[in-house]
Amino acid sequence: MNRYLSRPIISSLCVGAVLTLTAFQPAFAQEVNNPGLLVHAADDEPTSLDPAQVEPGEGGETVILQVYDRLLDIGPDSPELIPSLALEVPTVDNGLISADGLTYTFKLREGVVFHDGTALTADDVKYSWDRAMEMDLPEGNAGILSDYIAATAVVDDFTFQATLNEASASFLNSVVIAMVASIVSQDAVKANGGVEASVPNTFMSGNAVGTGPYKFSVWNRNENLQLEVFDDYWGENASLDVRIEIGGDPDVRVLGLRAGEFDTIETDPSFIADLEGVDGVTIYQEGLLLEPLHIGMNLNIPEGALPPEDTIPVDFFHDARVRQAFNHAFDYDAFLNGPLAGYGDFNPHYIPIGIFGYDAASPTYNKQDKAKAEELFRAAGYWDDGFTISVITEEGNLFALMCLVMKDSLEGLNPKFRVNVLAVAESVFDDAHAQDPLEYAMWAKNADPAADPNAYLQAYVHPDGDWGQVHGFANGYADPEAIGAMIDAAAVELDVVKRAEMYAEISKVLYDEPMWLIGAQEGVVAAHRDWVQGFTMQPLWPRPGFKFALFDK
Amino acid sequence: MQLRDYIIRRLIVLPILIIGVSIVVFSLTRISGSPVGIYLSHEMSPAEVQQIEARYGLDKPLPVQYYAWAKGVLQGDLGWSGVAAAPVTEVFPNKLAATMELAFSAGFVAVSLGIWLGTFAGARRNRWPDHITRIVAVSGASLPLFWLGILLLIIFWANLGWAPIGRSDATIWASIAHPTGLYTVDALLAGNLKAFGDAVWHLALPALTLGYGATAIIARMMRSSLVEELQQDYVDAARAKGLPERLVLRRHARRNALIPTVTVIGLTFGFLLQGTITAEIIFRWPGLGRWMADSVLRGDQATIMTYVLFTSVLFLMVNLVVDVIYAHLDRRVVLGG
Repeated sequence: MNRYLSRPIISSLCVGAVLTLTAFQPAFAQEVNNPGLLVHAADDEPTSLDPAQVEPGEGGETVILQVYDRLLDIGPDSPELIPSLALEVPTVDNGLISADGLTYTFKLREGVVFHDGTALTADDVKYSWDRAMEMDLPEGNAGILSDYIAATAVVDDFTFQATLNEASASFLNSVVIAMVASIVSQDAVKANGGVEASVPNTFMSGNAVGTGPYKFSVWNRNENLQLEVFDDYWGENASLDVRIEIGGDPDVRVLGLRAGEFDTIETDPSFIADLEGVDGVTIYQEGLLLEPLHIGMNLNIPEGALPPEDTIPVDFFHDARVRQAFNHAFDYDAFLNGPLAGYGDFNPHYIPIGIFGYDAASPTYNKQDKAKAEELFRAAGYWDDGFTISVITEEGNLFALMCLVMKDSLEGLNPKFRVNVLAVAESVFDDAHAQDPLEYAMWAKNADPAADPNAYLQAYVHPDGDWGQVHGFANGYADPEAIGAMIDAAAVELDVVKRAEMYAEISKVLYDEPMWLIGAQEGVVAAHRDWVQGFTMQPLWPRPGFKFALFDK
Repeated sequence: MQLRDYIIRRLIVLPILIIGVSIVVFSLTRISGSPVGIYLSHEMSPAEVQQIEARYGLDKPLPVQYYAWAKGVLQGDLGWSGVAAAPVTEVFPNKLAATMELAFSAGFVAVSLGIWLGTFAGARRNRWPDHITRIVAVSGASLPLFWLGILLLIIFWANLGWAPIGRSDATIWASIAHPTGLYTVDALLAGNLKAFGDAVWHLALPALTLGYGATAIIARMMRSSLVEELQQDYVDAARAKGLPERLVLRRHARRNALIPTVTVIGLTFGFLLQGTITAEIIFRWPGLGRWMADSVLRGDQATIMTYVLFTSVLFLMVNLVVDVIYAHLDRRVVLGG
């Protein structure tokens, strides 16, 4: 045979045979890949590793949770607070909360060391909290500290005190366990730029020196971030080093899990179908994310600001009947069983399922009711002439799909209704969304997760809250002062039973006066290899809710 | 005009061109919207947005912003990349090296395989090896890169586990120094064959995917040229004097057939650089392409401006070098005319 001919023919045949034989072959044998190392495929790249700079719900919080400790924590199995760097959870009963509810005392664990070898003292705690408040970075969450805290004090080397502006029922759940309240090494910060108001610390943005079970190793941007087990951890040592593979195509993450290259992946319900029945892969689906998916209604629309296609008047949403009509018109089943693939549930306005204050008996918008929607639109005077309205959202994600469901729901209800979905790049959305006043009638996003109902109600319901002010909630409530007073009263009620009753009452009121259309509360969905032991997710930990130190393989 | 004078004149004009390009780049990126979006989160209040704008000087008039940016560029400060969460200057060299390594590797695959396949087919015109090669070439030119990449991933990574993705094994990568950023070169400089093997192994799938399309173009060009050369009189003369067919092909026809093919190879490099974006996304290759794709989608203007400025300056430099080479090779070229 001609030798020019023989090699390529044989090669071609071999390659063809391999392709044929392997294309439909199931995944590899189930030996444990990368023993001693947990490879986690993450959705997002962190924007910062500095607790003072990280934005709630952002990729950096995932890392901060592993490398830093806070005074208190939440265990994997329940929403109850547990000790962490503090030896006890303060209560009035144990004397660590003063009788007036203003002073919180934290007795610290002794013998704790930072990753740089320095010992933890109460001074580090004070330094960490003061630092975040002094820096007060706009992208961070320091506001939650300064909103609550009047003063911090070191009582002795292992006793730290915080004095609040006013008594609060949510301080421990909202502030003490927040990532911004993580305890950083004072020495490391001082040696690397110190503290400057409104200026990020470049060293801390890209490094981490905490007391957590993991110490930061290396961050290869757009590629991976590596954590090593901290052998001198005060608690039980982690079993596995961690490599977080960052970003990339979501299909590749799914393939990587199937191949056993990744041990755990962040995914969303739309990819679960690709993993069902795959040998060696477990789909985890318990609980709900604490980030209700919502569509906002603007009650503070400036004259002439809306897109030219919009025909609604600027006071369109001032009428509670219109807001109710939108809530009745939305096809909840279509959203839950379509984009969410059945993983999710519905929560009342605005307290998500899974935290204190959620009341299962509260009325909830969870079924499309076309007749009621028509009745309300007719009563409000918009049925006969119809309207055109635009909703702005990020493109290519659940928010955009939620808007499309709303579009289908309303346009299916009345052909004279027209909903324009403006799906734009994330940065364009963030820029538009940050405008005051907002130049769109509606927008879609999710809530920031929190462990206490007050955080949600202050942000998303209170007429004087962050969004309430910008979006003019006071223009829509029948009695805005009464609603604000109810929220404020519940925030300082220390009697747990009474407080729960107050939130149930607020939820009832908000059913009649909704300021949002809550599409659903998305289910917790993740996938991991079978060889990962101890896998658990806690929605009260930052998304994705993993603590790698609990995993083994 | 003397060559030396011409080069000096072009070098004097070069900074003016670069300034012009930078103004155009700056203006174009600003037309697409404020660069502040990449630094924002959806929960920021208007006051916080103002703080961010003040931090990056985005609250100042455009000419002042341009001046600050240009001054920063001259001082080696290209701004802060919101996507990479680091200064652009810090990230850019490594990303560039990763992309160049991938593009050159794909180029190596394309050139070696393309020339070999073209020769193989051209020497057997209209016989079935030629037809098979044509199928290979047509499929290479027509298969979408992302589809081919995913297919190879499914087979060789997900099912067989033969090939890795990403750029390196993290442990091996950390075991050597990276003076050039080119993993293969760094491994050789370190004398670490294991690292070199790891680098090549990680390059295999993305380079093959990326190089396949270019292979097709080169192979078709090589085949056509060779067919044409094989019909020339000098080939008949070589055969007539009794030279074995193998040598006729290697020493005479193939050498001449390479001339137009080399021109195509030069043009193909642009195609490869373009393709790196898709290949890097699919294979999690941490290069410039993936970074740029993320930056464009998320409006990271500091990164976009750096990339466009870099490619523009590169283009101007290459243009200058080409003009000089032409002038050197062909004295009939009138410089500065």
